[in-house]
Amino acid sequence: MNALDIRAAAVTGRLLPVSLGLPRGSLIGLVGPNGAGKSTLLQVAAGILPASGQVAWQGRDLGKIPFLERARYAAWVPHGAHFEFGFSVRSVVSQGRYAHGDDEKGVDEALARLDLTGLADRSVNHLSDGERTRVLLARALVTEAPLQLWDEPLAALDPRHGLEVLRLARTLAAAGATVLFSLHDLRVAYGLDHVVVLRERALRACGTPADILTPELLLDVFAVRAHTVPGLTLDLP
Amino acid sequence: MILPARLVRWALPALLVLLAVLAVAALMSGDMILSPARTWAGLCGEDSLASTIIWQIRMPRLIVGMLVGAALSSAGLVMQAFFRNNLANPGLLGVSGGGAAGAVVTIAAGWASASLWFLPLGAIVGALAASAAVIVLARRGASTERLLLAGVALNALLGAVTSYVLTQYTGLYERNTQILFWLMGGVEDRTWEHVQIALPIIVAAAVLWPLGRQMDLLSLGVPEAQSLGVDTRRLRRHLLVLSTVLTALATAVAGAVGFVGLIVPHILRLLVGPEHRRLVPLTLVGGAAFVLGCDLVGRAAGGLRLGIVTSLVGGPFFLWLLRKLP
Repeated sequence: MNALDIRAAAVTGRLLPVSLGLPRGSLIGLVGPNGAGKSTLLQVAAGILPASGQVAWQGRDLGKIPFLERARYAAWVPHGAHFEFGFSVRSVVSQGRYAHGDDEKGVDEALARLDLTGLADRSVNHLSDGERTRVLLARALVTEAPLQLWDEPLAALDPRHGLEVLRLARTLAAAGATVLFSLHDLRVAYGLDHVVVLRERALRACGTPADILTPELLLDVFAVRAHTVPGLTLDLP
Repeated sequence: MILPARLVRWALPALLVLLAVLAVAALMSGDMILSPARTWAGLCGEDSLASTIIWQIRMPRLIVGMLVGAALSSAGLVMQAFFRNNLANPGLLGVSGGGAAGAVVTIAAGWASASLWFLPLGAIVGALAASAAVIVLARRGASTERLLLAGVALNALLGAVTSYVLTQYTGLYERNTQILFWLMGGVEDRTWEHVQIALPIIVAAAVLWPLGRQMDLLSLGVPEAQSLGVDTRRLRRHLLVLSTVLTALATAVAGAVGFVGLIVPHILRLLVGPEHRRLVPLTLVGGAAFVLGCDLVGRAAGGLRLGIVTSLVGGPFFLWLLRKLP
């Protein structure tokens, strides 16, 4: 059974009917030009944007699952969150435990894993965009949700933290989670288990990167030419 | 936050002590100043004059003041989380405006002099009608912007109604004075009937008490709150009803007292941080203390109306605090 089954889900003006099944224990990249519907698809998958069609988590219709239970099943990381009130970093990360009775479990570990221990008492409004993204990722981590939906988690991160977040995603997938995240770096997408390509608010292709990310598709969807040449690659020491 | 973390947990006990001190001061002071011993004797009924002053005049005023302060400040806190906006307050949705219009019409029509219950009733009906109108106007989607804009439009309309009634009764000096006094807000000459009218504020506060954590999440926005497990439709409905009822009851017994719902949550948030689990109890107690303090200042200044004092004291203090912000 798939972790997530989307059948003909559509949002008026934002997403044409999309059908998609995402397997458990995999790391999936969501790519597409600006305005292709990536954020919309993530929100539909997270159950926070009403869509026509059907979304099912492990065979259960999303609409029939109460909110508290949904939060234990799927975690969503928004892109560029805005905080009206200056909560501390620790307090934002603990929000991920709301659906578990606010037990603070795993908060310290998540702070450490995203290199936030030193910032724990800082207000989220006094952080850089990249630091704030890491706070939201830490919050998603403490939910222990098997479905992780991240909206451009790498966009604001420096190379080191970007690689660490990728490694974290891989660890989660290896432990059985389904991690779906949007990104713009097609070279990173090439290294993932699966890719989903959106174009003009519709599903263009989905499958393994080697099958999908062909020079023809890249030219068609992104209007870029792909070359395979030796260049600079980065890795964690 | 300004307070160091180790002092934050002392904020509630400190405010409770402050509230107790202010309450004792309120019982002692007035046209006839009572000594602590005489105040005690009056409370126990051992001194008939002091007893009459305390139980017939000062105690109802004290209780009404505390309830009004707690209601207005917590309504402000709720609205700020609801609208994700620091500046939201009970005046914003048109709820206060509705209450004022309802009361003014009641006075102008002459019903207010028929029974003590009619004026508060008019205020409550006005406030609830305004709230209902805002909700209906903004029903489809009911986004924050729509609600805010509906509130602004409604406030303008209700202000016009109030002004119209005022200009229509320029000949009736007594009624106009009554209306003006009411529009300025105050807690003098309150009776036990007023206390009864305001008592449901305690129920509303009790319902609000456990919602603090969910208010934290709601302040992140509806999608984030939902993704973290909050049934936002239900919560938003509860909060809207609670803030309306709190504002309506406060307006019904004390008139249009401004600024409390804006300044009290703000000061407390600056002091102890933005977490609502902490802020809800602090706002209830702090609001009560703020209104009692302002009423005492007004009395000491020779009978200044409460609504004037809250703005006169609150305004400069608020500006000073804003300057202290990093």
